[in-house]
Amino acid sequence: MSTYSDASGAIAPLPKVRRATGFGGVLPALAFVTIFFIAPVAVLLLRSVLEPVPGFGNYAQLIGSATYLKIFANTFIVSGLVTVISLLIGFPVAWALAIMPRRLTSVIFAILLLSMWTNLLARTYAWMVLLQRTGLINKMLIGMGLIDKPLALVNNLTGVTIGMTYIMLPFIILPLYGVIRKIDPSTLQAAALCGANRWQCLTRVLLPLAMPGMAAGALMVFVMSLGYFVTPSLLGGTANMMLAELIAQFVQSLVNWGMGGAAALVLLVVTLSLYAVQLRFVGNQNPGGR
Amino acid sequence: MLLNFDRLGWWKYILLTITLLTAAFLLLPIVFIAALSFGSSQWLIFPPPGWTFQWYSELFADPRWLESAWTSFKIAVIVTILSVLLGLVTSFGLVRGSFLFRDALKALFLTPMILPVVVLAVALYAFFLRIGLGGTLVGFVISHLVLALPFSILSISSALEGFDKSIEDAAVLCGASPLEAKIRVTLPAISHGLFSAAVFSFLTSWDEVVVAIFMSSPTLQTLPVKVWATLRQDLTPVVAAASTLLILLTIILMALVAVVRKVLKQ
Repeated sequence: MSTYSDASGAIAPLPKVRRATGFGGVLPALAFVTIFFIAPVAVLLLRSVLEPVPGFGNYAQLIGSATYLKIFANTFIVSGLVTVISLLIGFPVAWALAIMPRRLTSVIFAILLLSMWTNLLARTYAWMVLLQRTGLINKMLIGMGLIDKPLALVNNLTGVTIGMTYIMLPFIILPLYGVIRKIDPSTLQAAALCGANRWQCLTRVLLPLAMPGMAAGALMVFVMSLGYFVTPSLLGGTANMMLAELIAQFVQSLVNWGMGGAAALVLLVVTLSLYAVQLRFVGNQNPGGR
Repeated sequence: MLLNFDRLGWWKYILLTITLLTAAFLLLPIVFIAALSFGSSQWLIFPPPGWTFQWYSELFADPRWLESAWTSFKIAVIVTILSVLLGLVTSFGLVRGSFLFRDALKALFLTPMILPVVVLAVALYAFFLRIGLGGTLVGFVISHLVLALPFSILSISSALEGFDKSIEDAAVLCGASPLEAKIRVTLPAISHGLFSAAVFSFLTSWDEVVVAIFMSSPTLQTLPVKVWATLRQDLTPVVAAASTLLILLTIILMALVAVVRKVLKQ
């Protein structure tokens, strides 16, 4: 806003033809992003319709094969599960963080940030060890008498779901915390004065007020889960591939650029369209924009 | 009343229990790995039968671990410098400039943040194969820079938006050249943004795995790639030692950020 008055004196109305200023500054980054980001991704996607023969053969093959459909199903089921579980755990935690005494919250926040910043491979490795047949989790469950035989918690979708939920939790707690903090406590007092009991206050006031934040956070976690590569490939077995691994496999082991590009396009389209939906949510919830 | 902790009644204890359990859940793997790295059991039995530094000495005795750590560090430092410089110039353009499609351009610069990394990794892999940059230091730096730059632009832009340009103008009126005013007035004022840009860029590059898996060659690999490759073979406690060092670095960086934030605020 101020740039108009800065550039052309105090009382310049919005000029119809304005000189472009500052474009030189963004040129290096624009060149860099075009050459090393847009062009490579565009070429990859193009190859999906050009290789091995021009046409939509790759896409037909992706949709037509039961193997690939199962991978799509795995990806969506795991991402959905991770989203729902993160939301179920994350909401009470975010709620507690928003109202707990300061000293306690700062400790929890430190733990949240530490786990978020800790190397992804280190955390995934920890779960590989914790979840194995002879691992701590199985031992504890047996020790508590809950199970007789060790459960298969790793090298399957259970392992992926546990590991991914672990990684996604901070990503849902932090935005939800922001939303709940902004809710005016007097709205809940008003509900209570009007005779609502605790449960009604929760389900008819607090949850609906937090809903935009929950939707935005859930979408973000879902989208991030869809494209995850490292955790699913280390905690999932070879039999339970997810979409990102499929893309990597097409390219690395099968050297099939056409199919790799096609699978990448599917992931990209789903990701970007869900982001577009999320932008709408965030826009509605916070008209000032962020 | 639901937003007043003291008036929650017994619901308070439910919330508190869930929160503490979640905190424990988040902390468990980190503490567990650190403990295991000192455990004497090769089979990662917990609690371990004894304590040892064996895995650390194995880690430091293997030149490949050290080499990959050095590679990671080199790449991360170069990426950090380039990312802050490029982010600075770009932010000046984005925040101060006025040109067509400015907001669209900013959105474009931030896109690598939301794109699934595997798509970028595969695309760059194909591109670098063709132009001969695969498995090279330059290839690593470029691909990590694509991922780090958005964080840099975001932190520096927001710092620059919060800075009142008239202070810089005042310095020019007092006789400083425009460049001098930028360097001696504006840069110190947005130093917290530059600092976060540097930390985010460094960590983005240092921790990056997916792109690095595709960029690496038998002769050149980063520490995360070395961890990844080792994990695919077995769960050796040496990885626990390497992971603990990675976690330690994170804690040091986090503490540094907290300290610098405090100093800059004063």
